[in-house]
Order: sequence, then structure tokens, then C-alpha cells
Amino acid sequence: MSKKNPLTEKPLDYMLFKAKREKQFITGSEAVREAVRRANIDIAISYPITPQSETMHLVGDLFAEGYVPEYFRGENEFAVMSQVAGAAMAGARVFTATCGPGTMRAFEVFPMWSGSRLPVVCSFMTRGINAPLTIQPDTIEMAFLLETGMIMLHCETARDIYDFNLAAFIIAEEKDVHIPVGVFMDGFFVTHTRELVDIITEDVCLPKYNPQAAPVPTIDMETPPARLMRDPFVMKSNFVSYVAHASWQQEVRAAAARSKKHIKKYLGELIEIENPAAPTIIVASGTAVSQAREAIKLAKEENIDVGLIKVKVVRPFPKDEIVAALSKAKKIIIPEFNIAGWLAKEVAAVLPDNGRIVATPRVYGGMTMPPEILLEDIKQAVRKQTQ
Amino acid sequence: MPQYKVLPGPEGYLPPPAALMGVELPEEGKALVEGETVSESDAVQKIARKILAAKNPTIFPGPLVLWAWSETACKKAQLVRELAAEAGMKIIPMPDYRPKYPMINPAVEINPNHPNLTIWHNKIDVCVFIGVHCHYANVALKIIRGGTDCYTIALCGEYGHEDAMITLRDVTVAKLEALLAVVRETKRKL
Amino acid sequence: MSKRITEMCPALNDAMPTEYRELVENGPWLGDKTVKDLGTFKELLEEHPLCAGCNLALSLKIILSSLPNPADTIIVGSTGCSSLGFMQVGIHNIHSLFGNQNAVATGVKRVLSMRFPDKKKDVVVMAGDGATADIGLDMTIHSWFRGEKITTIMFDNELYANTGGQESGMTPAGRVAYMAPLGKKFPKINLFEIAKTSGCHYAVLLTTANTVRLGACVKKAILLARDVGPTYVQIHTPCPTNLKIPPEESIKVAKDSEKERYAFNEYVSEAAKSFLENTGNKK
Repeated sequence: MSKKNPLTEKPLDYMLFKAKREKQFITGSEAVREAVRRANIDIAISYPITPQSETMHLVGDLFAEGYVPEYFRGENEFAVMSQVAGAAMAGARVFTATCGPGTMRAFEVFPMWSGSRLPVVCSFMTRGINAPLTIQPDTIEMAFLLETGMIMLHCETARDIYDFNLAAFIIAEEKDVHIPVGVFMDGFFVTHTRELVDIITEDVCLPKYNPQAAPVPTIDMETPPARLMRDPFVMKSNFVSYVAHASWQQEVRAAAARSKKHIKKYLGELIEIENPAAPTIIVASGTAVSQAREAIKLAKEENIDVGLIKVKVVRPFPKDEIVAALSKAKKIIIPEFNIAGWLAKEVAAVLPDNGRIVATPRVYGGMTMPPEILLEDIKQAVRKQTQ
Repeated sequence: MPQYKVLPGPEGYLPPPAALMGVELPEEGKALVEGETVSESDAVQKIARKILAAKNPTIFPGPLVLWAWSETACKKAQLVRELAAEAGMKIIPMPDYRPKYPMINPAVEINPNHPNLTIWHNKIDVCVFIGVHCHYANVALKIIRGGTDCYTIALCGEYGHEDAMITLRDVTVAKLEALLAVVRETKRKL
Repeated sequence: MSKRITEMCPALNDAMPTEYRELVENGPWLGDKTVKDLGTFKELLEEHPLCAGCNLALSLKIILSSLPNPADTIIVGSTGCSSLGFMQVGIHNIHSLFGNQNAVATGVKRVLSMRFPDKKKDVVVMAGDGATADIGLDMTIHSWFRGEKITTIMFDNELYANTGGQESGMTPAGRVAYMAPLGKKFPKINLFEIAKTSGCHYAVLLTTANTVRLGACVKKAILLARDVGPTYVQIHTPCPTNLKIPPEESIKVAKDSEKERYAFNEYVSEAAKSFLENTGNKK
């Protein structure tokens, strides 16, 4: 029997901008727990995988404490993501988390979440994928998820993890958006390290999800029409069906585009820019941003002027923002924690004169990215530029 | 980037969704006319003129106003009926969202997955959507813009629709009554 | 707010197509129809694209006429021939992916129990043999292990019909099919026995040949799932198209199987028995 949630409902802008906060020295996984504690969710469904497991253990604690009314462990990630889909279709606010091989195991479900307009929030504690087996940090799974239709937020710090996870529920549920939000955090690097995070201390939580305002009918036999399949087939071999399917896909992409204004309202600009006048600019997301900050400090000691663009939102991709911010850059350095270099490809695809891009350093398989190697790449880029 | 205009089609083989062309949904109290933000009263005036000037205006009530799931739904249904009578609009319902091609009878119903069939069959030049869940309304509005020359108006209970030529948002019973009054007034002046 | 999604707003009633008016005025939403009334009311499924002589279509018709409370029933289906009909079914139903039906149903059931604690919302899974016993087997059985209060109905045509007639785990040993060109090398999966030992409180093996019994068993399975625990209904629905049976003989093929692998078999757990005794719903 579930306990009564002891918190009082407040809108997200109150939670993010007005509620009293206090610094706590916590891990990224604990930051997820603290966000979910105040998210007023209806159900969380879990499945173990390193380095995610700890997060869903902590959400299990919230269930035991009465902050989450329903919680259970499913049988594998494909099943869990399907259970999550059923829960969302039936009108619940739902949370789950996975990573790496679990993401791949569940993969068929993610575009279904988007196509079915389900406002699921899923955290991904990014990890490398087999073979060979690894449990170490690597952001390769994000490359695969780019075209699933979901909104993708990439956290640099535990503070980001806290704010992004909390805001994700409301952004996902906006009536004109209503698609899943993936909140990505680099496994171990931020999930298992501690930092000071401003945590809300008031007894407040988000308002309940209202399924009646959804852009698609809830499956509960309380929402018209009674004659309803979620979601109907438009798969006959004729033009009428092709156009319906194409138009449906476009609407999912349109929903992601509409999320921009909500993301801006709650989380600020989609990218954060520091020192935009510098001739050399690093573009990064996730913990690569932190490494870039360290490298920029080292560069400054050697009188090399380097700017920084932190990409917080990977989908919808902040194309116009990035193009504008890089309009004067001579060299653009894109460090990444994966072999594919998906961020470099994304930037290259939208940038005029993309020969300015230096898509290094790139590390993977769990390797760290020492600021010194980033500094070397900065120096080399600057040398080429001045030659 | 020049402002993308949301105009009657046929726009082409597969036109883009207006949201991806930079058209943003109206803020509270505002409306969209052909992709531009205008005041709600301007949009209401324009709707009245459009439907009264049309040769064959038609209103498409959707499941949210056809089925008696709430008192508000029934009140809105009543106003749809009155609006149709006042403006000389035909009523063609969208009772649910299941694709019915090729079984659909376009003379008596419309379906969001192939709304163009009903528009072509009935030679509808101006149509009004109301009570359709936003996802299905958007799918339908885009198909209509792609394949027909119909002028689309969406009376939305939530945030509105970029893919309609005119859209109102947060359409309550009171707003429908106000629209009905403006239609009456406009008709009187004609 | 009283629930009336099965009624029309009076002001627009006359604008609705006839078929919807018939459904409201004389359909199963009223909750008073059974298999025996078939032919006298507007059914939840009328038009469907399934083949002539399709036993699946027949059993679907019977099941939909036997739901104890259609106005509060949610169906979860899966990819395959069965799903082609569900789009036209007059109650909320889900098709999400191939094989995940019992997982989706778990999510739906858990949430509806929370959102509507004072109502009985029946969640019924209906899928083919491939979806239930092959690609979705882990999710089928795990929903039983967890004791999810849902009914699982398998349409067993003993092959993958919609993709053209490939071998499935439910195909009898020795039968030649696509992907088993030399005949199937292992026996038909005994999911009925597995159900009994995996947490189902009611399991039944039957065919489309006895329509009244099928309707009664489906009703019993749903009522038991509502109050006791998971239930399983396995229906032999021979596929005339892939098995090259003349449509008019397809029910006879189902009937004939009752003499061997589809002999009527019903399992009722002790808890289910006492529930049936207490509610006077024995048969």
C-alpha cells in the first residue's frame, strides 16, 4: 500500500527559481533521487545495470518513504521501457533509467515512445557498449538515440542533473510537446562523484500530471473516443497511408521544435557561451565541458585565448544558436567521450565553413580526458591557424 | 529567414510542418493568422469573415465535443451547432481517429489520417476544426495544406496549431460564445 | 463527473454517422450483451480486414461479445493478424510493438488501479502465438510470475500468419512451414502447463468450435483476473489462408483438433475456486 506524498504542489518555475535551496555534498545519482523526490511521479520501473543501478535503488527508497506511489523491477530493459509506455498511455507520470547495453536492449521502444507522444522521462547514465564488455563511461549510446525523436539534455554537473531531471517532467508534458525527454549524464564521471548541489529544502513538489490535456487520448476508457487504438496503423500500400505516416513523423519533430521555448523558460538558453570573442572556441557537452574548462585555464596561463560553448540540449539541436555563436571563431575544437564523434558531426552539418572544426580530442572505452591533452590540441590548432 | 506563411495549398508533395519553419504558437491571449501572431479579437474577426464569405464552409467537430464525457463537452457541442447554423456551415464529424480508408464515406465523416478525401469530396473551401486532440489535428491540418486549397481554422482548447491558417488557443465555452456573437454581428453588417 | 464517453452530446447526435448511433443505442457498451445475442446488436468489431473463414476473427467476435464490462475494458494487442482488427474495435486498445503486450498491459493495469481505485478496469491482452510464446515469452511469463491482474488470450494459429506462414514455437512437431522446410524439429510449446506453474489462477485450452463455451470461459477468465490474479486463455484458431483450408471448413479443422492436442482442458486454482464459489459464479 503506497503512502501519501508529504509534499505540497508548486509550479516548476517556483521550484527552480524561488524555492529555498541549501548546498548538499551529493553524488549525481543522489541528485537524480532528489529531483525525482520532488517530481510527484506516479510510478517508477527499474532494472539493474551499472552504473545506473544506484539511481533506481535510490528511487526505490523514495517508494519506501512514500514519495513514489508505485515502483517495481521489470524483467529486462525492453520490458521495462514497454511497461513505462503502458503506464504513460494510461495517464501516469513515469520515470525510469538505464544505460549502455540496457539502452541498446530497449532500443525499439524509444522511437515508439516519441511516435506515441509519451512524456516519459528517462535518465541515461552513459556507458560503453559491447563487445568487448565494458561498464565504463562512454557517450556512444547518444549517437544511436539522436534520431529516436526524443528530447535529449546532456548534464555537465550534478547540479545540472538535479535541475534537468526536475524540469524534464514539465517540459515533456507541455501540451504542445508531449514527447519523451532523455536526461544524459556521463556514467561514473558525474553519477558516482560528489559535488556541492543546491537542493530545494522546502516541502514542495511539482503539480500532478494532467493526462486530460495531452495531445493524444489517454487509454483509460474515460477519454473520448471510446473507439481508439494507440496508435493506429497507417500502413496500407497507397499514397494516402504514406502521407499520413510522414505527417505523423513530422508532427513528432515539430513537437521537439516547440520544446525549445519551454526549455529556455526553465533551463535558460540551449547553449551556454563563455568568451565568445575568442578566436578558438571549444564546443562540448556533458563532462567534456568540465575538462574543457580546465584546459581553458591552462591555456590562459600560456596566454592563449579560448572560448567555450556548452551544449546543454542535443535534441532539438540548437542549430541557429551554435551557428551564431561560432560566426567569428577561427578554430572550433570539439572534444568527445565516444569514438563516433557525434557532436562534431552535428556541428559540422549545420556550420558554414566547417573546415574550422578540429574534432579532437576523442577518448572512449572509459578513458579519461586529461586537460593537458586538450591543451595540446588547442595549441596545435592555434599553431595551424597562425601559420 | 523570411517569415514562413501558412497559406492554403496545395503546397506540394510533402510540405514541412510550420513549427519547423519558425512559426511559433501564440502566447496566452494571442492568436495566429497565416503564421503571424495577432490579437485574439483580430483573429476572431477574420474567422467570422472567412466562414461567412466561403462557398462551402464546414465545421469538423472531433471526439472531444462529440462524445458526452463532460458537461463542457456538451455545452461546446451546443455552440458548434449554433455556430454552424448562424454561419451556414455544414457539420461533418470526426467521431474517432482510426483510419477508415478506403471504407470512409467522405460525405458524412472526416478522418485525421486522410482528411483530404472529405475536403475534396465535399468541395470544402473553408473548414473549422474543434474538439480534435492536438496531435491528430496537426497531422490532419498538414495533410490538408499539402493536398488541398482549403482554408483551415483551428479552435483549440489547448495551445493552438501552427499548421492551421487561423488558430485560436484556450478555446473555452465563453470564447466560443464570443465567436458566435462576432459571427452574428458580422453577418448583420453584410 | 459521470463517465459518458459511450454517449453522444445531444446537440450533435444527429450529425453522427449511423454506425455510431447504433453502437450507442444498441451495442455492447450498455453491458447487457452476450454471445447468444450475436446478430441482434451492433458489435464492437464489425468491419475488419481478416480473411474469409478466419478463426481468429471469429474468436475475436466472441471475445468482444463476452467482455463482462466493455465500457471499462482496455485491450492490449501485438503485431500480427489480430492487430489488424483492433483498430476498428470500439474500446480503448493499444498496439505498441511486437511481443511486448504483457509488459505494456502491466504498466496500464498498475496505473489504472492507482488512478481509479473505486472502479474495476479490466485489462485484457490478446495476441497471436508468435507474440505470446516466442518473441514475447519472457514478458508473458514474467507478468504471471509477478501476479499481474490481467487476462492473457492467445490466438493460436500455430504459425506466423501475417508474415506468410512461418514456423512458430506453437507449431506442432514435424509440420512443414516456411523457416522449417524439413518439418519442425521440436514439439509444440506447452504454454498451458507453463501457465499453471507460473502463477496463473485460471488457464483454459479450447477452440473456436464451441462458441458459447468460449464466451463463458473468456468471461470467467476476465472476472478472475480482476479479483484473483493472472489468467490465461489459449484458443486454437486455424488459419485458412496459410494452411490452405477452404474457408467453410476452417471451424471443422478447429473442431477436429479437440480430439487430440486441443482437447478442452481447464485449470482453476484453489484461490480461484473459492472465489467462484463465494461469488456464485461457478460455471
